Amino acid sequence: MSRKILIVDDEEVIRKFLRIHLTKLGYEVKEAADGEQAIEQLGKDNFDLLICDILMPKKDGWEVIKEAKSDPKTKDIPVIVLTAKNEDTDMFKGYDMGANYYMTKPFTKAQLLYGLKLMLKETPEEIRV
Amino acid sequence: MEDQDRKKIIIMLRWTAIIVTSYLILFGKGRVMNLHLSYLLILIYLLSNVSLSFFPKKWFSNLKLFYPLVLLDTGIVSFGMYLSEKMVTDFYIVFFLIIIFASVSRNFKLLMVIGGITALLYGVLLYSWGFLLKEDSSYTLRVPFIFIMTAFYGYIVQTLTREKRQELTISEDKYRGLFENAKEGIILLRNHQLQIADVNREVEKVTGYIKGELIQKEVFDLFPPEEMEKARDYFKEVAEIGEGRTDSLSLMKKDGVSTEVDLSTKRIDLGDESFYQMIFRDLTEQRKLEKKIRQSKRNLEAIFDGIRDQLSIQAPDYRILRVNRAVVERYQTTFEKLINQKCYEAYFQRSKPCERCPVSVTIETKQPATSIMKSSENNTTMQVFSYPVLDEKGNLLSAIEYVKDITEEQRLQEQLIQSEKLAGIGTLASGVAHEINNPLSGIIGMAEIALEEEDPTKNESYLKDILDCAQRISEIVKGLRSYSRAAKKGEQGLVDLNEVLEETLKMVRLVAQKTPVEVIKKFQPVEKIQANIGEIQQVFTNLITNAFQAMDGKGGKLVLSTRSIGDSVEVKVSDDGMGIPQKYLSQIFDPFFTTKKPGEGTGLGLNIVYRIVTKHEGTIDVESKEQIGTTFTIKFPARRVES
Repeated sequence: MSRKILIVDDEEVIRKFLRIHLTKLGYEVKEAADGEQAIEQLGKDNFDLLICDILMPKKDGWEVIKEAKSDPKTKDIPVIVLTAKNEDTDMFKGYDMGANYYMTKPFTKAQLLYGLKLMLKETPEEIRV
Repeated sequence: MEDQDRKKIIIMLRWTAIIVTSYLILFGKGRVMNLHLSYLLILIYLLSNVSLSFFPKKWFSNLKLFYPLVLLDTGIVSFGMYLSEKMVTDFYIVFFLIIIFASVSRNFKLLMVIGGITALLYGVLLYSWGFLLKEDSSYTLRVPFIFIMTAFYGYIVQTLTREKRQELTISEDKYRGLFENAKEGIILLRNHQLQIADVNREVEKVTGYIKGELIQKEVFDLFPPEEMEKARDYFKEVAEIGEGRTDSLSLMKKDGVSTEVDLSTKRIDLGDESFYQMIFRDLTEQRKLEKKIRQSKRNLEAIFDGIRDQLSIQAPDYRILRVNRAVVERYQTTFEKLINQKCYEAYFQRSKPCERCPVSVTIETKQPATSIMKSSENNTTMQVFSYPVLDEKGNLLSAIEYVKDITEEQRLQEQLIQSEKLAGIGTLASGVAHEINNPLSGIIGMAEIALEEEDPTKNESYLKDILDCAQRISEIVKGLRSYSRAAKKGEQGLVDLNEVLEETLKMVRLVAQKTPVEVIKKFQPVEKIQANIGEIQQVFTNLITNAFQAMDGKGGKLVLSTRSIGDSVEVKVSDDGMGIPQKYLSQIFDPFFTTKKPGEGTGLGLNIVYRIVTKHEGTIDVESKEQIGTTFTIKFPARRVES
């Protein structure tokens, strides 16, 4: 059974390339364009990983993470924070709130794969390139 | 009856008696025994009346004159009768004339004595001619009749005198009341020895003596020994001139303490006696007050001179009335050289008042005025304030000119604006980085996919995404360039507010793009203003950023509008965000006032806005309601471009 990943970003182009990359790698991908949609998706499905942008309309990434971490059903899902802001304070805030990995935009496929592998505890062999 | 009238009546009555007596002596049918003696008698009588007319008026109220005068007249008339050997009725009438003028003295006793003597003399004369004991008693009856008539006059005189005395008592009471209740101390002195004859209550109050202790004392006992000399000189002068005033003498109280008084003394005549009336006012309170006034004057002078800014008081004709030390030091001159000179001559060697001088505005309008004067000479900036000083009727007495060196203040302000600008650029940079990073991620991501793609037909869609992202970045960089170009310029120029608003909005939106704000632009074509474009941009950046923050991600409406009103251009920035609590409204433009958490805001944003707007001679107003929104209204003076 393939693993399920939720991509949350208001930028369509970012969702698109993430989707293409991850689908090629054999993951099942779901998308959300803002915080509210993300929380809705989290309630409906069981995910293995959450990739979440911070600055989004309606509910922002922090709120999504907070809700995910406060729900027993979803609190163990690892979270990768994507942010365009390159500031340390944001990073620490992310970890404080329960984010597990922090990725600054722009990033390459290799950086993404490293983060994925780490979060999903997969060995490099398991990753099908 | 006045002395004047009394003298006139007496002399007139005597003239009548003299004429009648002379006529009877010289032209009567009777035999004159000794003609020479008769002439002498008439001459004495005449001369006595002539010399009487040289007597001082006031002697006529003195009984010492009446006794000899009446006796003399009675004697002359009786002797005349004797010489003429006539016992005619007419002589008898002359006696009545004498009795009448004796009654003018208003003295009952004198009158009765005169009546007695006249009756006696007449009786003696009658007897010498043998009329007294004749059968015909008509002559004999005249003797008691003289006495009865005299008594009758005496009665009338006494009644009149009593009435007069009553009147006097009443007026005396009135006078007493005035005397006793006077707020001034009044001392009555006997003329010669300057002995105290009477004092009023105020004297007792001031000196601490009671009346009984003062009466009969010499006035000099009331002066302290060290001032005795001065007091004697003063009274000597009063004796010469009749009156005198001084405020340099003190009275010594019973306890030995001196009290300064304002003293005036006047000679007055009461009846036949002269007095000095000494009136004084206790100056203790006044001196205290004077001391206070002097002290406060000194304080004011010290403050005036101590102020390090230049203070100068000018009359409505620009004459300098007063300057403080700072002025003297600034122009390296002396007080004497400035006072009474026209200010424009003394300070600037000009022949007429300086242009834009606030003092001339105040002199013309009686209103406070201010203006900023730049001196190229020593590169300083002065703010000149002028305040009117008006009298009770609203006339301008003088204008106070206050010159404050604001060079340093302005430099700090420039620095503050600059540092706020830098901080703004920092915020902008991180906002811009964020905005660029998103499409950049898209480019990198899509490029990697395209590289790996084996099916070339799919690449077109990837490349299109890459192009979109690249164009977005290009837009951001363009906006950034125009913003920074404006910020760099820095000098004054003609500024199109609509243009600046548009650009600023773009940049602020970049930073706060995720806030779903609907922006409504109501721009009307407006005149350009003379301004520093970078600073105007700073104003709009701060206001629009605040508006976005007030809407705090919840979204809302931002209305930007511009329009011309008369000679000014109005810009409104209004949001429907959280609003500003009423209690903070008066403080929002203060430096370092912030409701944000430490680290989130400097509290300088709106203060900078305020400073920049006022620097451009503009005004800024704010209206705000909690949960409804906030509107900032800025007005700048328009500069019409002459074509």
